[in-house]
Amino acid sequence: MLLCDFHIHTKYSDGSVELRRTIDIFGQAGFDVIAITDHVVNGDNSIGKFARRFKFSVTAENFDEYISSIKYEAQRAWDKYEMLVIPGIEISKNYISPDKSAHILIIDIKDFIPACMNYERIFLDAKRQDTLIVACHPHNMSDMSRDTLFLWNNRDKYAKYIDAWEIANRDDVFNVISLKKYPYIANSDFHKVRHLYSWKTLLNCEKNVESIKQCIKHNKGVAITLFRN
Amino acid sequence: MTLFWIFAGITIIGLACYGLQIWAVRATLKKQNGASEYCPPISILKPLKGLDDNLFDNLASFCAQDYPEYEIIFALQDHNDPAYKVARKIKDKYRGRDISIIVERCGSGMNPKVNNLIPAYKVSKYPCILISDSNVMVGSDYLKEIAAHMDDPNVGLVSNIIRGIGGRTIGSIFENLHMNSFIAGSVCFLDKFLKMPCVIGKSMLMRKIDLEAIGGFKAVKDVLAEDFVIGKLIHASGKKIALSNYAINNVNDYYGIRRFLNRHTRWGKLRWRLGGVKYISELIGNPVFMASIPMLLWEASRLTVSFALLVSLVKVLGDLYLGKKAGSDLNPLLYLLAPVKDIIIGIIWFVPLASNTVVWRDNRYIIGKDSALFPCPDTGMWSWRYRVFDAIKARVA
Repeated sequence: MLLCDFHIHTKYSDGSVELRRTIDIFGQAGFDVIAITDHVVNGDNSIGKFARRFKFSVTAENFDEYISSIKYEAQRAWDKYEMLVIPGIEISKNYISPDKSAHILIIDIKDFIPACMNYERIFLDAKRQDTLIVACHPHNMSDMSRDTLFLWNNRDKYAKYIDAWEIANRDDVFNVISLKKYPYIANSDFHKVRHLYSWKTLLNCEKNVESIKQCIKHNKGVAITLFRN
Repeated sequence: MTLFWIFAGITIIGLACYGLQIWAVRATLKKQNGASEYCPPISILKPLKGLDDNLFDNLASFCAQDYPEYEIIFALQDHNDPAYKVARKIKDKYRGRDISIIVERCGSGMNPKVNNLIPAYKVSKYPCILISDSNVMVGSDYLKEIAAHMDDPNVGLVSNIIRGIGGRTIGSIFENLHMNSFIAGSVCFLDKFLKMPCVIGKSMLMRKIDLEAIGGFKAVKDVLAEDFVIGKLIHASGKKIALSNYAINNVNDYYGIRRFLNRHTRWGKLRWRLGGVKYISELIGNPVFMASIPMLLWEASRLTVSFALLVSLVKVLGDLYLGKKAGSDLNPLLYLLAPVKDIIIGIIWFVPLASNTVVWRDNRYIIGKDSALFPCPDTGMWSWRYRVFDAIKARVA
C-alpha cells in the first residue's frame, strides 16, 4: 500500500516550513506519494486581500515559479526517496460566513486557476487540465474558526464535479462523507512539522500519477490510517 | 554574603572541572587511532521504534560504509511501526547490501531496546556486533575507524563521542548544546581522568564472545542503562573499553522541549540510581546553575548578577569551543542559550531525588539500584498518583 498525503502547505502560502524541508520531512518518514497544495486565495474580499498582501497565497504571477520549484524537488524526492511529489493548489474561497466558504484541492495542476472565478468555472477548468478535484475539510471541524461548509451544503449541485472528499483532515473525521458513500481520502493539511502525525491515505495501486488519480476517482483500494509515532 | 561566597567557591570548583572536561574532549579528539587495517566482519544491529528526525538518512549512512564485509539488521517489534516503512525503503534502495528486517514482538525483559535487540542478535551471522541507535548518522569511514580498535584483543568494547547536530526547535537546540558540552565532556573526563568506562548506547562495537562471557543480552534485559551496564561488565571481565575519537552525529532537528525535559529527567534518574552520592558532582559541575542560585534565591545585587553573568559568559565560550572542536553545525549565536539550558538542567537535577519512576517508550517503570527496572503497579496505595497525572495529561492533550 502506498502511504500518501495530498494536502500539504509550504512557505509558498501559510505553511511554516519551506518546500525543500517539507519534502525531506515526508521523505525521511517513508512516504510514497505527496501533493504540495498551497493556497490560491480569492482576492474579491478583505480576507483574501489580506492573504495576498502578506503573501499567504500563490498568485498568477508566481505560479510558474511555484510549479517549477515543485517539479525540481519532485525529481530530487524521486531520486532520493522514491517518493512521488505531485503539484497542486488549494483553491481557498474564504468568507466570514462558513456557509459561503469552501476549499478545493486541485491535484496535478498544469495551469493557474484563479480562486475568484465561480465554482462551475473552477471545476471545468480543473477538469480540462485532467486534475484530481478534492473537497477538503467539507464539514464541521474541531477548530471552529475555519469551517468551510459551502460544498457540503450544496453537494447536490456540485458533487458531480468532485472526484473525492476529505473524510478526515488532520485530527478530524467527517462521518457524513461515509454516510453519503462519496469517494474519500484523508490528509494532514500540513502547515507545521507536528502535523505530520495525522490522518493519511493508503492506496493500493501503482506509484504513478495516472494510477493514483484513477484509484482515488474509482475509490477502490483506498484506506485511511491515523499516522502516529 | 557568606552564602554567596560558598556558592562562588562551588562555582569555581565547577568551572575547574569544566576546564578539565574541555581538555579531556580536546585530548580525545586529537588522539591517534593507529594505522591498523583490521576489518573483521560486523553485524550492525539497529533497534527501531518510531520515527526519529532524519531517519531515512541515518539508516542510509550505514548502507554507504566503505567496509569489506558487514550486514545490517533492522529490528522492530511491530509491522505497524512507522519506522518499518522507512526500513523497507532503505532495503529496496540498497539492494546490493546485506540488509535484513526482523519484526518480532519479544517480551523477554523490561528494557524495550534489549527486547528489540535479542531477535536481531539471534540472526546475526558475524563474530562482531555493532549496536547502533536509529538517531545516529555516520560518515562512510565510520566502520573502518572503530573496527581498527578491535585489532587489540584486549579491547572488549568500542564506543564513540557523540555530536549533536541539526536544531530547528528550542528543544533540539537545548539537546544539541547539552550533547556537545555536558555529555561529550563527561564521557571524555571519565575516560581520561578516572579510567571509568562510560558507554553510551548510540554506538557499541563488541565481540559476541565478550558479550556472551558477561551473560549476553539476558544480563541486561531488566535494566534501564543497558549500555552502561554492558560496558561496566565487560570492563569488570578484564577487557578494555576504547573510546574512539570518531564523532558520530546524533541528529536532533525537531525535538520538542517536553521531550528534552523527559529525556534528561529519565537520564538523571538513571545516573542517580547508578552513581548514588556521586550524582551530586553533576550539580557541582553545573557552574551556571550554582552561580545563579544566590541571585535567584537571595538577592539580585550587582555582585551576584555580575558573577552569574561572568560565569555564563565563560560557559558560553567554553561550549562554543567544544561545539567547534566536535564539528557541530549549531549557529554560534545559539550558544548564548547555553546558560538557560544549564539552569533548566540544574532544576531537573532535583527530580530524581523525589521520584523513582520513568516513562520510556510509553511504558512506566519503577527504577531501582543500578537502574534495574520493575513494573509499575496499576493498583495499590501509591498508584493513584500516576492515574491522576495520566488523567491530567489526557485532559490537557
